[in-house]
Formats: sequence, C-alpha cells, structure tokens
Amino acid sequence: MGLIFIRTTIIFIALLAIMRFMGKRQIGEMQPYELVITLIISELACIPMADNSIPLLYGVIAILTVFLLHQIVCIIDLKFTALKPVISGSPSIVLNKNGIDDSQLKKNNLNVSDLIESLRIEGYFALDAIEYALYESEGAFSALPKKNFEQLQTSLPIILASEGKFDQKNVARTGRDLNYYQNILKEHGCKSEKKILIFTVDGNGKAYFQEKGKRYKVIDLGWKNTLW
Amino acid sequence: MIRTIASIFITLGLILGISVYETKQVSKTFRELKHSFETLQEKTELNTVTYDDGVAVRTFWDKKKETLHFWLPHGALQEIDFQLNEAIGFLSIDDAEGALPKIEVLVGLTDAIPHSYNFGMKNIF
Repeated sequence: MGLIFIRTTIIFIALLAIMRFMGKRQIGEMQPYELVITLIISELACIPMADNSIPLLYGVIAILTVFLLHQIVCIIDLKFTALKPVISGSPSIVLNKNGIDDSQLKKNNLNVSDLIESLRIEGYFALDAIEYALYESEGAFSALPKKNFEQLQTSLPIILASEGKFDQKNVARTGRDLNYYQNILKEHGCKSEKKILIFTVDGNGKAYFQEKGKRYKVIDLGWKNTLW
Repeated sequence: MIRTIASIFITLGLILGISVYETKQVSKTFRELKHSFETLQEKTELNTVTYDDGVAVRTFWDKKKETLHFWLPHGALQEIDFQLNEAIGFLSIDDAEGALPKIEVLVGLTDAIPHSYNFGMKNIF
C-alpha cells in the first residue's frame, strides 16, 4: 500500500507540473490541482471497482492519497503565499496601457487571436476600449474597460494582420488592397510585415496597430463612410 | 484550518498504518508459505513425499490466500495455484521427479511475489 501511496503522489505531482506548464488555455475554470484531481479520481475509483482482480484497498489508498495531497495543497494555497504561484500559478496581464503584452501571451501558450476571442466573449470588441485584460490563474479571463469604452466600439473591428501575417480574406472584405494597408504601416514606422503584432480596422476606418515590443497606435484612416 | 490539518494527519496515519500492517502481514504469510513449500521440497527430494502432503500444503495455502487477496492482485496469486495444483497432480501419480521442478518454482515464487510489491525504487517506477 505504501507503493500505491508513493505512485499516486508521483502521478499527482507529475500531472500538476504538466498542467502548470501547459498554461492557462488547458485549465478551463479550475485551479490546476483541482483539474488534476478531477482527472485521476474517477479512474482511481473505477478501476478497482470494475476489475475484481485488483484489491479494493488499492483504490481506497490511492483515493485517500489524493485527498491527503488535496488537503496539503489547500494549506499551501492558504498559508504559504510564496508557494501559491508555483502550485496554482498567478494571473497574467496580457493587455495593459501599452497594448498587448506578447511575452505574457507566449508564456501562457496563447496568441493574439485567443486574446481577441476572449475579449469578444466578455463583450469587448475593440482593443483600444480596454485598459487592462488578464488571464486568472484558473484560466478565466477578466478585462477592465476604459470609461468611455462604449463609444470606442461602434463598429466591429476586423483583424487585418496578426503576428506578422496579413489575412488576405479580411483585407479584401474591407474593400481595400494590401498595398493600401502596407503603405499606412510604413507611414507609421513599420518597415516589415513580420514586426506586426496586431493590426485591426473597424468599419469607421479606425485602425488599431501594434508592433511587437512597442506601444499600440490608434490610426484614423480617414474613411468618409462607414463601411460595415 | 484545524479540520484540514487534522484530516491530513488522520489520513497520513491511516495510510501509514495500513502500509506497515500490509508489509508485515504479507512478509509473514510468505515466510510461512516458503517454509511449508521447502518442507515439501525436502520430502520430494528424499522421495518420502505423499499425495496427502501435497493436499495439506494446498489446504494451508488456501487459508492464507483468503487474507492475501486483500493485499495483492489476484493475478499474482494465481501462479501459485497453478504451480501447486500441477505439483499435486504429479504427486497423485507418485511422480516425485515430475513434482520437484514445480515445487522449486513455488519456493521461488514465495520470494518473488512479496518482492514485487515491496516498498522499493524498482517497484515504484
């Protein structure tokens, strides 16, 4: 039974480490250790229950071990704040006053599209309407909008380019060609397409542009009509 | 908080208690079994073994097996059943020479089975 205890502990720690390394995308809405417990506890209960060649005690000891580890992790979470980020992770601010923080996104195995999708789910469509956005340690997404955010998102922004690549279909949807946008980027100091982190435009001709490692810019393209 | 800490110590105590009891119980049972198989082996080597000796060992094993099922996977114990029944089969036709290799395997199994479930690195990984 001591063997089962050690083996369960090793599997628990290994799964917890893997969940932490995989980043917030894989977690959902649980703490990493809660997901680990959910993953293993059902199997621990089912295998000795269904297979009568395995002593029931094997399952009981493994479940007791998982319970013990859960209680230990709970204590660490509550009392040892220095260890909490190691076990549960910490929130990542992925969008701040300078725009999107690419390094934080990469750290969590996320890309700009994931961020924009999370923002849309929260009801925010324009990147410049957001003051701060962050992924909580359990994978939930939170955003703090600017005071006048409703005025900043009157039309749906379309992603023209993200992470160094133009989306030809979206470019065509705006009724302009690639050269038009490439010239705009050049005017604003972006010499290479590869340096683009995000480039969006809404139906009013308001473009949101951010180069990798630089602050974002909001550019008025001077469109006379609202296109969508 | 106190309840959480208490539950940690109670669970840890329970797991440790069961583990220590299991280790002692399994080792003791297999020591006794080894002794009975070795006695059977000696008698077989001296050609003084009878069918009844084999049956007596099997009765002893059947009794021990009941408690071993709590601690060890049943598949690990089936090998002893298989080898012991074969040995008794040979003894029923007075073939001590045929029974001897089976009994030697049984003696080996009484060492190998508890070692497979011992608290050690090779069994953890």
